[in-house]
Amino acid sequence: MFDLISIELYKIFKKWRTYIGFIALGVLVPLIHIAMVLEGKNTIDFMTRNIQESFVFVGNLLNTYLISYIILTSLAVHIPFLITLVAGDLLAGEATSGTYRMLITRPISRTKLVVVKFIAGLIYTNLLVLWLAFLSLVVGYFIFGTGELLIIDGQMIIIFESGDVLWRFLLAYGFATLGMTAVASLAFLFSSLVENAIGPIISTMAIIIVFVILSAIQVEFFQNIKPYLFTTHIMSWRLFFENPLDINEILKSAANLIIHIVVFFGLTLFIFRKKDILT
Amino acid sequence: MILILLFILFINLNAQTTDPNEIVNSVITKFNQVKDYEVDIEIKVDVEFLKVPDSKAKLYFKQPDKVKLKSEGFALLPKDGIDFSPSSIIKGNYTAIFERTETLDRYQTSVVKIVPLNQTTNIILSTIWIDNKNFIIRKVESTTKTQGTYTIELFYDDEFKYPLPKQMIFSFNLDKMNLPQTFTNTTPKSSRKRFKDGPVIGKVFVNYSNYLVNKNLSDKIFEDEKK
Amino acid sequence: MNENEKVIEIKNLTKRFKNLTAVDQLNLNVYKGDVFGFLGPNGAGKSTTIRMLLTLIKPDNGTIKIFGKDLQKERLAILKNVGSIVEKPDFYGYLSAYKNLEILGRISGIEVTKNLIMKNLELVGLESRYKSKVKTFSHGMKQRLGIAQALLHDPELIILDEPTTGLDPMGMKEIRDLIIHLSKELNKTIFLSSHLLNEVEMVANRMIIINKGTTKVEGEVKELLNKNRLFVTIEVENPDTALDVLKNSQWISKMKNQINATFEFNIDANEIPHLNKFLVEQNVLVNSIIPRRSLEEYFLNITNGVSNV
Repeated sequence: MFDLISIELYKIFKKWRTYIGFIALGVLVPLIHIAMVLEGKNTIDFMTRNIQESFVFVGNLLNTYLISYIILTSLAVHIPFLITLVAGDLLAGEATSGTYRMLITRPISRTKLVVVKFIAGLIYTNLLVLWLAFLSLVVGYFIFGTGELLIIDGQMIIIFESGDVLWRFLLAYGFATLGMTAVASLAFLFSSLVENAIGPIISTMAIIIVFVILSAIQVEFFQNIKPYLFTTHIMSWRLFFENPLDINEILKSAANLIIHIVVFFGLTLFIFRKKDILT
Repeated sequence: MILILLFILFINLNAQTTDPNEIVNSVITKFNQVKDYEVDIEIKVDVEFLKVPDSKAKLYFKQPDKVKLKSEGFALLPKDGIDFSPSSIIKGNYTAIFERTETLDRYQTSVVKIVPLNQTTNIILSTIWIDNKNFIIRKVESTTKTQGTYTIELFYDDEFKYPLPKQMIFSFNLDKMNLPQTFTNTTPKSSRKRFKDGPVIGKVFVNYSNYLVNKNLSDKIFEDEKK
Repeated sequence: MNENEKVIEIKNLTKRFKNLTAVDQLNLNVYKGDVFGFLGPNGAGKSTTIRMLLTLIKPDNGTIKIFGKDLQKERLAILKNVGSIVEKPDFYGYLSAYKNLEILGRISGIEVTKNLIMKNLELVGLESRYKSKVKTFSHGMKQRLGIAQALLHDPELIILDEPTTGLDPMGMKEIRDLIIHLSKELNKTIFLSSHLLNEVEMVANRMIIINKGTTKVEGEVKELLNKNRLFVTIEVENPDTALDVLKNSQWISKMKNQINATFEFNIDANEIPHLNKFLVEQNVLVNSIIPRRSLEEYFLNITNGVSNV
């Protein structure tokens, strides 16, 4: 099994498209850092302008924690796209290159093939989020240092002591990985249906965008289905920045994502096992 | 005869003046003993829309109105409570009106209303409870143009020779805050947390300890740190 | 022949795609050591059958047994011993020939050594290009690499789907020689699908011709060829005389074509001397008699439904 996974990872990392995600983040995050160096103070003033009318405060609010938080929030659509670039190609790519024939005529079960590719896709997902975490937190630390984290949650301003932040981020990134895994599973499912990676990439992104738009429409019907959409729960990493933690909500979101992952993967497995390979 | 004289003297000595200006000036005079001070403070914030950890800081003061808050980490203090010197509470041109005497917490106080004559100041009206015997301010209640009403309660260590408090409780009544929409409303449940419309009540507790008074603080302390 | 074990046994194999029945109740047997020719025109169902043999496609009906084992039930054990090329061989173009073989070998579960890979590359003449990315390969090179991957795990049964497509005559000959080598020296069983009949004629000992998904003919190549009438081309000096003579004889029904001085007949092999004798006795001057023992005619006839020919 490990040998097969390492083969899949080898194939993934030999393709240039895999590096798009890493390079994109490697450019985007530093750009945000630069913007923050230049304009960060204004951002904080903007966020705190109401308190500033009544309060005096001191502290290094422009720190790596705030910026990492902003980065994680802003990249709600960008990172899923980078995930689909690879996840959507995992199966469809074999069809495009015609290598299904070589693979499936080997003494390897289709189930194993799907599982191995899925795991390889998950590893890529994890690595990309890890890379994001590194760029945000670690590189940010050397530029901005640490300090208290100020966030605005609904109508609350919450400030976390600097010692109370890192563990939240670690869990938040972990949760973000779960969310991205759901995205990867959907792209993977689409990948099993078609012969070209473009289809899965576009379909997955279209679904994400449509769900996000529907969730924003203040019509009762859409608001009723909103809690069931996986896109709603992708942003649930924010739940780790509450005081106290609402464990129930966190578990509910995690469950929603896990159910989606299991269903998407299950469907993929079912489809792939039955599929006639005509390419 | 001597008894009557003593009695009259006694009454005179204890006669509480009702001249508000005199009362105010006596407080200011007493406070002017303090040329400067630095003090350790602990701040606890209890406000509906703010979830802030307790913080520690150092507060610096130099006459007449230099104040600086410094902290290694983070600290949040209400603007109107950072400088509790009488001259900051009672500043500019004003009209003072003696209202009544009141017993506040077992202390005899004169309640004086201060009406600022300066149109540009934010304060519409202040009510001050001044301790007659010790000439210190025990409570202030101010109504502002934009920020609603706030109350400052000051508690002192009776043994301390300077009129500097050991605790301040700052209570305020704000109109609903308008928070920027930038990072809001994206958790599944944040839409459920809506504050009732109407004023927001909050309290900030500040504890002062380790006063270092009249140590000739340099002006440099009060300059903004150049980045 | 029947004493040999059956390597492939297909019974009533059927596959439908929407409204099209691609394979219809197909039956065939391949015995150990056979070079089995699987022939049919384009669209006959050859590729579909091969894909079913290799579990790329699931049949709607029928059974497939390979090495005596049911393909549905013992797929992994069977495929360990089967090497194949299905249509044109496609590889991971962004990887080298060496890497492609290494990956495919590892997936097959064999111990992949540099020696093994180089040996197989040498066998198909690609050892000098082992480092090159496959996307730089010509079609012929990819075809050869395809054979290398089919042989990598030393399988007993080799299924080749049109292995010489796109090759030049030299390349085709190399493949044919390789097939013969594999069969004769290495005792492999080879299932060879093709629409190039002379190719099959040259290497196969048994064959089947299918069309529209069903078997038309199955048997030994030699036997099938002998059953057939031949196409005999006779060139004469005096075509007018020959024509007059033939018109009034029984031979006219067996004459298929005439172009100037060349007459084409469809007759049995043993009829040739009689036709020759008849023409000579009628003062026709015969220049040459050329019989064509070609499977091609047979194939064309069979697949066009021309019976009795």
